Amino acid sequence: MLKNVTEYYYPGSLAEASELHDRESRSFFISGGTALALSDSTRPVELIDISRLGLNKLKLDRASGNLKIGATTKIQRIVESEAARSVLGGFLSESLEEIGSYPVRNAGTLGGSLVRPFPWSDVIPILSVLETEVTYFHEGDKKTREFSKLYESDFRSTLNRSIITELSISLPEKGNAAAKFIKFSRSEFDVAALNLACRLTVEDGNISEARLSIGARPMTGERIEKVENDLVGEKLTGNLAKEAAIFAADVTDLGGNDKLSKEYREQLVKKMTEEAIVDIKREVANES
Amino acid sequence: MKVEFELNGEEKSFDVEPGEVLLDLLRDNGCKSVKRGCETGDCGACMVLVNGRAMTSCTLFAAQVNGREIRTVEGLEDELAERLKESLLEAGAVQCGFCIPGVLISAYSLLSRKENPTEEEIEAALDGNLCRCTGYIKQIEAIKETSNKIGGSRDGR
Ligand SMILES: Cc1cc2nc3c(=O)[nH]c(=O)nc-3n(C[C@H](O)[C@H](O)[C@H](O)COP(=O)(O)OP(=O)(O)OC[C@H]3O[C@@H](n4cnc5c(N)ncnc54)[C@H](O)[C@@H]3O)c2cc1C
Ligand code: FES
Ligand code: FES
Repeated sequence: MLKNVTEYYYPGSLAEASELHDRESRSFFISGGTALALSDSTRPVELIDISRLGLNKLKLDRASGNLKIGATTKIQRIVESEAARSVLGGFLSESLEEIGSYPVRNAGTLGGSLVRPFPWSDVIPILSVLETEVTYFHEGDKKTREFSKLYESDFRSTLNRSIITELSISLPEKGNAAAKFIKFSRSEFDVAALNLACRLTVEDGNISEARLSIGARPMTGERIEKVENDLVGEKLTGNLAKEAAIFAADVTDLGGNDKLSKEYREQLVKKMTEEAIVDIKREVANES
Repeated sequence: MKVEFELNGEEKSFDVEPGEVLLDLLRDNGCKSVKRGCETGDCGACMVLVNGRAMTSCTLFAAQVNGREIRTVEGLEDELAERLKESLLEAGAVQCGFCIPGVLISAYSLLSRKENPTEEEIEAALDGNLCRCTGYIKQIEAIKETSNKIGGSRDGR
């Protein structure tokens, strides 16, 4: 229950939603409501329901080769869709299925996971390792930004005043690509104590593109570019997986909290990075 | 504010607070099968069907379901629901019973979209239901049993 909320709006268009939001600094958009309904914050005074604006389309755009996901599409619908299953041998659907439980995914949306992400969010590492673009509505216009630039500090205030309308995920064109998501939590019901996603593209036996993103560090997910740069140009071997894992544990900014100590996280980063790379190696070998 | 939706097959209109969650509205209006458990979306005791999809009513604002169809266990009276209730009782899947309305909703929603779910699919469908008494085995058996019975009656067996 949000005690201080006095108005709940059902705008008929993005422009109307945006105008309502600009009018009251303590207004919040509602998509699936799962994050806001649980909050006992006294800040929200107005809620603006954007779940009826038709932002729930999901399609594979054959012309661009991109998977387009409307921001208010329920996560479970993405998990169940054929189109999403075509992303990297099921990587997207299988990893999104790790989020919460069936009823949570039936209500929650990707758009709702992005603007004020939980530090343990699985969505951030998953989308970070894909070629993801985010379309948002701001000051009357739709604009697009790379997912990796969404959280840059100079964009923060724009993001806070925008409506995310769509995510576009491009499917890798060349080479053999595979990705893996690993989540470590203390129980089936708990959120991640550490989560990690990795994608590698291999061309002529060498890694041509690498993405590694680690979340719940306990800070929000972030790409580990030093490891990514180190992997590019290398042969994908078991030994490389071991070396990359040690390097990842060394360079990732980690901390401790009530779920895990910093030292435990370091060991997990090592273990999970190696496991992800070895799994990807196996998958890439099966594909070629 | 006014919110209108179909509750267990009847058109209803309610006065709600704009920040009120659906769980409170339903319980205040007689749907006591909707249990107040964790209130954090974790236990599934407050589960309802929203347009046929299982969702936790503690993580939804009442205003979000304006114009939708809500079903609670009070409104589950068809053959599938009756068979499920029977199977849960026969299997000994009910101990204290607190989780059972939520389990029923999850199971009903699963069997409505899938006639013959695998054990893995049943487990996945119950992943949002916390039962502190039974260990789930009897509940899974009961859901399997219902699927066999319903399948049998559909085949004319
Ligand atoms: C029990 C439970 C378990 C969970 N487990 C996990 C888990 O394991 N892994 C995980 O990653 N997440 C987990 N979550 C988080 C869940 O994924 C998010 O709550 C959900 O995705 C948020 O989406 P929503 O549409 O419900 O957001 P809402 O509650 O509607 O909104 C969340 C925030 O985003 C803003 N917002 C919403 N949509 C937009 C938009 N399109 N543009 C701009 N701003 C917007 C809102 O104003 C609000 O501030 C869990 C949540 C619950 C309740
Ligand atoms: S009371 Fe809603 S999930 Fe527990
Ligand atoms: S029977 Fe007691 S909680 Fe499930």
